[in-house]
Amino acid sequence: MDVFFDTFFNFQFMADHFDVVWQGFIVTLKLSVVGGIAALIWGLILAVLRQLPGKWLAPVRWIVIAYIDCLRGIPLLLVILLLSSGLAIMATEGAIPKEIGIPQWFGESDPFWYGVFALTLTYGAYMAEVYRAGIEAVPRGQTEAARSLGMSHGQAMRFVIIPQAVRKVIPPLLNDYIALMKDTALVSVIGLVEAVQAGRDLYSEFYNPSGYTLGAFFFLIVTIPLARFVDRLIKKQNEKFQRGMP
Amino acid sequence: MSDKNSTTMVREVAKGETILTVSGLKKTYGKLEVLRDIDLNIKKGEVICVLGPSGSGKSTMLRCLNLLELPTAGKIELKGEVVFDGGKPKNLDELRRETGMVFQSFNLFPNMTAKGNVSIAQIRVRGRKKSEADKRSIEQLSKVGLDEKVDEYPDRLSGGQQQRVAIARALAMDPEIMLFDEVTSALDPELVKGVLDVMRGLADSGMTMICVTHEIGFAREVADRVIFMDEGYIVEEGSPDQVIGDPREERTRQFLGLVLDH
Ligand SMILES: Nc1ncnc2c1ncn2[C@@H]1O[C@H](COP(=O)(O)OP(=O)(O)OP(=O)(O)O)[C@@H](O)[C@H]1O
Ligand SMILES: [Mg+2]
Repeated sequence: MDVFFDTFFNFQFMADHFDVVWQGFIVTLKLSVVGGIAALIWGLILAVLRQLPGKWLAPVRWIVIAYIDCLRGIPLLLVILLLSSGLAIMATEGAIPKEIGIPQWFGESDPFWYGVFALTLTYGAYMAEVYRAGIEAVPRGQTEAARSLGMSHGQAMRFVIIPQAVRKVIPPLLNDYIALMKDTALVSVIGLVEAVQAGRDLYSEFYNPSGYTLGAFFFLIVTIPLARFVDRLIKKQNEKFQRGMP
Repeated sequence: MSDKNSTTMVREVAKGETILTVSGLKKTYGKLEVLRDIDLNIKKGEVICVLGPSGSGKSTMLRCLNLLELPTAGKIELKGEVVFDGGKPKNLDELRRETGMVFQSFNLFPNMTAKGNVSIAQIRVRGRKKSEADKRSIEQLSKVGLDEKVDEYPDRLSGGQQQRVAIARALAMDPEIMLFDEVTSALDPELVKGVLDVMRGLADSGMTMICVTHEIGFAREVADRVIFMDEGYIVEEGSPDQVIGDPREERTRQFLGLVLDH
């Protein structure tokens, strides 16, 4: 039993190396906030593009659908690897500006930004599908009422449909957000030291995995309240639904 | 006038003159022929009630009139201007601005208050300032007896109140024609009267109205002309006394027999 605790829950070890894991977790938080917000916005843009009306815009819809299908079907790890190596090579070859190919904006490292890009591209695709479900769940009568008042498709979307759709999909979006937060760990593969990589660094130096456990604690402190919050939102929405309200 | 588009439709139509002409209107969904050959001529100030069995194409006809549904064939003229003649609609924005529509299921925007519902299109479509739009909204809402409910959200209003907000919302756009599609069918019996009263007042004020309805009493009392539709055709039309009181067509008689029986 002592071995068990010394291995996984070595509190002395955790206290000694708290700062290393904590610094890693701050990177995790930054990455998930920046990447998460970008994915939320990009997903909404994709969903709106996918709903554009008319024959002439069909190619736009096809491209968006193809994009969403592809990015939902490729491992995020692969997107991270492709993006980081691809952009870096293009920048060193001079095909794209160095500031874009090897981005180090706001004092963050280039692996950080590659991570943001990859999370945005992949989770934007997931979230676009969530938004779409929300848009399609708004009754058709809403669009008709808006159009009968003379609003354009864009105005109907912006003032009537999207505000209702977003409210409906906040819980599933938050679930995707939790998944995104955990997937930030994959960015360690291109050299970003976030919470998980910090634990690995400690392990290879001291041969003790309690750093991982500490990282897990940090994740749970954020994800469990979020999951509870999602649950409460869903319960509230269901109650509203049962009272027969929209 | 501060209205963005008040100059585009210069022609004014006097009471009693033709305001809307529909000829040869057809609508098919795949193989299903919903409207077969509809001709209609509507004069300013006229109140028309449309009767007919379920599935006869009443809603489809109304929705074609403001091009919520694109007709398969036919011609629609509003105030002498062609708005549809096969193919792409012309002057669609004008048409939608000149026609208000009220739906069976209210379709209020649940993310806005009663006032917000009435104001939004005034601001975004008519180009009115928010303060002016809100002022008009409050006026319209008090006209339909909802002065107290201006700041309520739709889910706090009864069906009858919601429907009256929907009527106020359409009226606030200053339409030339109002289209009503079974606006009392989703209401509890005790709430029907309030909505019908509003419509009666509107008819008295000279509004041009086309009402699809199952309220035979209302049609008889308020309509200038009653139209009976079946299977995509206008089977019979005429004064309420004639069509309801003494129908010429067997199908009209049958339908009225069924409706009036209970
Ligand atoms: N979008 C659509 N696609 C296919 N068929 C449709 C569509 N809209 C209506 N229809 C069909 O057209 C026919 C006429 O429908 P419509 O709603 O105009 O009838 P209605 O006279 O208003 O009936 P009700 O009194 O029940 O409202 C019905 O058979 C209906 O199933
Ligand atoms: Mg109908």
